[in-house]
Amino acid sequence: MHDLIQKLTALPWDQAPQWLFLIPAGLMLLAAAAAVALRNLIHSALCLTLSFIALGVLFIALGAEFVGFVQLLVYVGAVAMLIIFAILLTPASEVSASNNPFRSFKLSRAVNAVAGGAVVALVLAGLFTAIFFSPRARAAIPSPNAAAPVALIGENLLTHTLLPLQGTAILLTAALIGAALLAKEEKES
Amino acid sequence: MNFLENLPIATMKWILGIVEAVCSWLCVKMGITLPEGFMPGLLNVVSILIVIVALLGVFLVMFALMSVLERKILGRMQNRYGPNRVGPWGLFQPVADGIKMLTKEDLVPRSADQIVHFLAPIAMVIPALMLPAILPYGRGMVPVELASGILYFFDLGAGTEVAVFMAGWSSNNKYSVMGAMRAIAQMISYELPLVMSAVIAALVAGTLSPNGIVMAQAGVSFGVVPNWFVFTPWGFAACILFYIGALAESNRSPFDLPEGESELVAGHLTEYSGFKYAIFFMAEYIGMFAINGLLVTLFLGGYQAPFPFLEWIPSWCWFFAKLAFLAFSMVWVRATMPRFRIDQMMQFAWKFMLPMSFVALISAAAWHYAGRGLAAWGISLIIIAVPYLLLGRFCFTRRHTADNRRYLFSE
Repeated sequence: MHDLIQKLTALPWDQAPQWLFLIPAGLMLLAAAAAVALRNLIHSALCLTLSFIALGVLFIALGAEFVGFVQLLVYVGAVAMLIIFAILLTPASEVSASNNPFRSFKLSRAVNAVAGGAVVALVLAGLFTAIFFSPRARAAIPSPNAAAPVALIGENLLTHTLLPLQGTAILLTAALIGAALLAKEEKES
Repeated sequence: MNFLENLPIATMKWILGIVEAVCSWLCVKMGITLPEGFMPGLLNVVSILIVIVALLGVFLVMFALMSVLERKILGRMQNRYGPNRVGPWGLFQPVADGIKMLTKEDLVPRSADQIVHFLAPIAMVIPALMLPAILPYGRGMVPVELASGILYFFDLGAGTEVAVFMAGWSSNNKYSVMGAMRAIAQMISYELPLVMSAVIAALVAGTLSPNGIVMAQAGVSFGVVPNWFVFTPWGFAACILFYIGALAESNRSPFDLPEGESELVAGHLTEYSGFKYAIFFMAEYIGMFAINGLLVTLFLGGYQAPFPFLEWIPSWCWFFAKLAFLAFSMVWVRATMPRFRIDQMMQFAWKFMLPMSFVALISAAAWHYAGRGLAAWGISLIIIAVPYLLLGRFCFTRRHTADNRRYLFSE
């Protein structure tokens, strides 16, 4: 008992916050894998939502509080619901083996796995090179300051990136009006 | 009255002192030498635990009290007594309800999606229990100081939507799915005006931190009017919009049509019984308290007293008094208003609430740039009032006025 407590208290507890980020990271990867692997589409969508949540928590754990909260608000509040509604409202389009349009390309499992693995490896390699060779990766990491980023992000949005912001606003408004038009019932003439 | 003002913080420091004394006494007794920095870290964790336990305790007691007081108040408003059998004035009714809920059979439909059906109440209650963490309850009494606390609050609201969908879909029952769809449509529609009116308060205060917004409402202007946002034209409009949005977000009457019992049995709660149902119920009430707490923070001056001569009452008492008033007003609304129809609800959200929240935003900006004085007050009043009257006149033109009728027998 005495030795156990002595050993427990001597553990590097001051580094615990750095290790805690493994929990959301692992959860995110697991949920993403489950979203791919599960058969039921709704289960996949819910797992994807869990993965979004874990990603938001990961951002917050790394000190990017604002980005994390916005990630949660946009992805859990909007994108996840959009995906779920899209699944529910489209007729069940189970692609059976007989009418699979890609049937003529059907290859053996091994070839499939190799091809899929190659695509994933290519995408990941592209991402990694882009990240590691960008000048920002070499820059010193600024110390996380809780209060400043929100004001800084707002200032940057409305000064340096004002034109893209307004462009996005117009695009989104147009998309909204278009969606309303499409969804509106057509009156029989 | 400095003692009462500091009572919660003093209690926490006292418990921390006891923990520290007990720990160091144990270490001496067992001959353990603690490494450098272990004790402060331990005390930090203990203080977090104390805050969590205190918040849970306060909100669960408030939930229990509310569940009986709501029925008492509703009863009084409908000329009857309400629960009065268990304990003095029926105050132990929540205990009886809890025992009843715990001992009820937990029915799960055989065709339900067992895992999602089990997880839905959990996904519902976790965000609800996390909501109260960012509210400033008194001077220096903010459990978690977040620079973007308002965003945190609405993030958790987004989590609730997923939970409602899980409950409705996994039950494999048409009423459940329809109720869940209604609930999600309502939440998404009313979240926009809700967030927009919160943005107004954040815009004027210049910060997203709840405590900063409370600080921005300190003091008195014109000698008599407290600087609370609700006492400005744009703030009053935003406060009303936020209040209606809060009613809709917490599924309170008149926005309780997701569980309209006359048409949908109980909406997404149809297939839940026993303690799972109680958990949904609890999440709804705690969410209601939390969103009322946010309303107090954003527009009603948070923990601040209205006048300087009333400052001898502790700040946390003011917060909870305002919260209690808002909770009472929600019961009052429930006793007064009939339920909306679904098309009325959607029209009201998109054709009235959303445009009005944009107008209030513009009005708040005009108030800020006109110098926040008497002239600014007038300008923002005009910017609010004109669109309000126009919207009211042209948007809801189908007036249902009764024809001239002659009463034949009742005269």
